[in-house]
Amino acid sequence: MSAIEMRTRGAQAQVRSEAAPTAISAWIAMFGRDIKGVIRSRSQLYSSIFTPLLILVFLGNGVSQGLSPAKLSAGNFTAYLVAGTVVMTSVFSSTFSSASYYRDRDTGVLRMFLSSPHSPRVILLGKSLAGVVIGVIQALVVLVVASPFVEFQWQYGIVQGILVALAAVLLLNIMLSGIAQVFASRIKTMQGFHLVMNLALFPLLFFSGAFFPVDNLPTWLEVLARINPLSYGVDALEMAAYAKSSDGFFGLPIDFAVMAGIAIVVYGLGMMKVPRLTWSGD
Amino acid sequence: MGAALTAMSIIDARGITHTYGERRALDDFSLSIAGSGVFGLLGPNGSGKSTFITMLAAMETPSQGTLEVFGEAPSARLRGRIGTVFQENALDPLMSVRESLHLAARLFGVNSREIAGRTMELLEAFGLGERAKDPTSTLSGGMRRRLEMARALIHDPALLLLDEPTTGVDPDERKALWEALLSRERGERTILLATNDLAEADTVCDAVAFIRDGHVVAEGTPDELKRGLRHEALRVTWDGPTDEQLAMVESWAGAGEVTQDGDVVHITVDDASVFVPRLFNLAPRAIRAVSIETSSLEDAYFQHVGRRRREPREATA
Repeated sequence: MSAIEMRTRGAQAQVRSEAAPTAISAWIAMFGRDIKGVIRSRSQLYSSIFTPLLILVFLGNGVSQGLSPAKLSAGNFTAYLVAGTVVMTSVFSSTFSSASYYRDRDTGVLRMFLSSPHSPRVILLGKSLAGVVIGVIQALVVLVVASPFVEFQWQYGIVQGILVALAAVLLLNIMLSGIAQVFASRIKTMQGFHLVMNLALFPLLFFSGAFFPVDNLPTWLEVLARINPLSYGVDALEMAAYAKSSDGFFGLPIDFAVMAGIAIVVYGLGMMKVPRLTWSGD
Repeated sequence: MGAALTAMSIIDARGITHTYGERRALDDFSLSIAGSGVFGLLGPNGSGKSTFITMLAAMETPSQGTLEVFGEAPSARLRGRIGTVFQENALDPLMSVRESLHLAARLFGVNSREIAGRTMELLEAFGLGERAKDPTSTLSGGMRRRLEMARALIHDPALLLLDEPTTGVDPDERKALWEALLSRERGERTILLATNDLAEADTVCDAVAFIRDGHVVAEGTPDELKRGLRHEALRVTWDGPTDEQLAMVESWAGAGEVTQDGDVVHITVDDASVFVPRLFNLAPRAIRAVSIETSSLEDAYFQHVGRRRREPREATA
């Protein structure tokens, strides 16, 4: 048995008594850091805002003017695209936020998080919640900036409609961040993560009703659209903002139940089986 | 140096064994550290230093044996009383110097009223006060290490873990870093330094332990470890010494340990002036250089840890 009692030049070490830091204070600190990261990563900030707007302006006007699809609300494809672009923004935001996991790992910041008095669960949840808040902010910015291009219907009333849209955006981002975080914490490379996210989320985005109605699709595609979690986000936003009635929609109770159910499952899975985070951050 | 103090055990490891798959990282590792000061953990790469530090921070659990920090098993909660500087940089390039400390302060639960004052005090102490607003990406390598030292101290930890903190830092910056740290911290807390740099350990450590193959092979103050050596040490740059030649050197009167590390042979001797001519007579063309030094911690290290060319001859009755 080895025993070393060091000769010291100063006082004997005192064991300091400190109050345990709370998970909430850690999450607030992590969110503050991540939002600064987004703001300072100009390319990420601009692309997340301008890409959806470009789709609204060019694709919306192009299809509205050029094809005049009869099934669109008031024949206005730009208005139709609003819900889809908000969902798309949330998809991109959750992907970018979760990809910051790799930046944290590669810069060593993840090691610093892990050396703090919080469990890996708290750290992962903090990163995920920061992604949710950032995603909600970006989605709402798109919704606000897009408003001059469309004529909102607010079938439930303006205040209620806005609250429903807010709730839908929040739930959608919780669900997407949970999915992205589960992938990010299990895939070793950022390239692999983006590949999986693109392969998984782009088809879901296309068959969610985000860019075109899915009513008259072949049966197998309609089935895909119905089991697609993004469809319910699009559905809830369309109903909240510019649908004149609930006819032909899933309905808000189903939309919220599906998104909440998936969010609970992915967060439950993520928290039940936290990947083994090592000192090296691998 | 003052007399040994009777202090509570900060780290107490008893018979720890830990494996990664087939590889045994720690093997019946026992070590107890009490009191404040700088304790060096010295050993070659893969000897188990980082594994032990990982366990102190509750990121690994020993497969066998017991480990206590501050008298209890390592836990996430205990990390609140531990500061860590990693071997590699762990700074966010998008954050400023000051923000890096603020983030750590919040993660470690520092009272929000104290964060600003504590941050500036540490930045000034580590010579970074004027760089507080600069992004960390604009700092030099040495400045980044100083910032990481300051960050590790933001929550006033009782135990500071330094995992090869000066790797890749130039000598001037290294000196500045240790001066900044030790001038204010020595005696204030327990500092555990894992390093390969024997000269650095000789300079800054109050006590050291040598680790080889996952267990402690020697420990004590640097002076105590050097005391057992012969008076002088020869560092011989020698092309391809044979076993027979090294055995002959070891058999000479006044020779101590003979160890080999690549093309360098270390020999501890009583009187170098007698040995040098005999070495050149033994291998006139193979010996390229000989330097004579007073025995250092490095010699003690090679005696205990260095790749031994020949096992000590068994004592005969």
